[in-house]
Amino acid sequence: MKDLPQTVYVVDDDDAVRDSLRLLLKSAGVACEAFSAAQDFLAVYDPVQPGCLVLDVRMPGMSGLEMQQELNLRGATLPVIFITGHGDIPMAVEAMQHGAFDFLQKPFRDQELLDRVQRALTRDTENRARLRHTDRIRERLATLSPREREVLDLVTQGKANKMVAGDLGVSQRTVEIHRAHVMQKMEAGSLAELVRMMMAVSPHT
Amino acid sequence: MAGSNHNDGAATDGAAIDGGTQRGQKIIVAGQSSQRTREVLYTLRVFTNVVWPASLEATLEQTGSKDVACLVIADDLREEPIDEFLQEARELQRNLPIFVITDPDDVAEAVSAMRNGATAVIEIPPSYAALREEVARAIL
Repeated sequence: MKDLPQTVYVVDDDDAVRDSLRLLLKSAGVACEAFSAAQDFLAVYDPVQPGCLVLDVRMPGMSGLEMQQELNLRGATLPVIFITGHGDIPMAVEAMQHGAFDFLQKPFRDQELLDRVQRALTRDTENRARLRHTDRIRERLATLSPREREVLDLVTQGKANKMVAGDLGVSQRTVEIHRAHVMQKMEAGSLAELVRMMMAVSPHT
Repeated sequence: MAGSNHNDGAATDGAAIDGGTQRGQKIIVAGQSSQRTREVLYTLRVFTNVVWPASLEATLEQTGSKDVACLVIADDLREEPIDEFLQEARELQRNLPIFVITDPDDVAEAVSAMRNGATAVIEIPPSYAALREEVARAIL
């Protein structure tokens, strides 16, 4: 599947900053859309659209940090680069703890911002590829029968067919058949690949 | 890196500094011998089992152990940049609370530390109480 073109969204209440960022990004060949308020961006935000966000911390109404939290609640994966003229360490730490990609203090050099935007766009591409990969694994998992799922869980815990048979109260031959179906449905070439797939969809187990 | 002392022998490797830590978990302090490292150690004197390993290797070895509650990077390290050390420590313990102490208003260093795996960054001075609170939370 071909990715949609990436867009850099700029949200800043300062007209001059918005205009200069728009010009800068345009000069670097990066598509840009600018908004003067968090609510304006959230009203049109489409999670399918790839890119990154350049977000002012302090804005009237909803602040940049509040907007980041709203995006987190919506499950957004868009990398966020905060920009601020009055940054302090607690503010930067809070933004980073909530998943900000970067935090930049004004004034910054044009190239500094462009470098970070480029890295954020790369991160977004990687995130989306990873999500597509895990979605495909979940789709394959959904095709397994309950018994096949049990066999999958046990073999990926490192149990041999004989032990799985004992745990499930079935013959070893039956486990081998279920296991073959699991490998086929999951499109796995080896047990190691199967384990990697399970780790991708539940990395903390 | 080998053999470079971190704490100039002022605190014994593995020795308790003072206080009352729960469950015997260690609070590891990393940092070259400096006024700030000593301030951090003094701030944490209310906890027992605060250790200031003698070298970076010893610090990493202890960070990888099971009985560690948190790691406090008090100051620059002689042997390597903090960001690299953070990545190594994070590699050893994915969920370990790691606190980095910075100079006041050094936002760039704070952001870099967060990006490389710090749980929180605390500016000293003035946030001595914040450091104690973060460490207390990590222990409990």
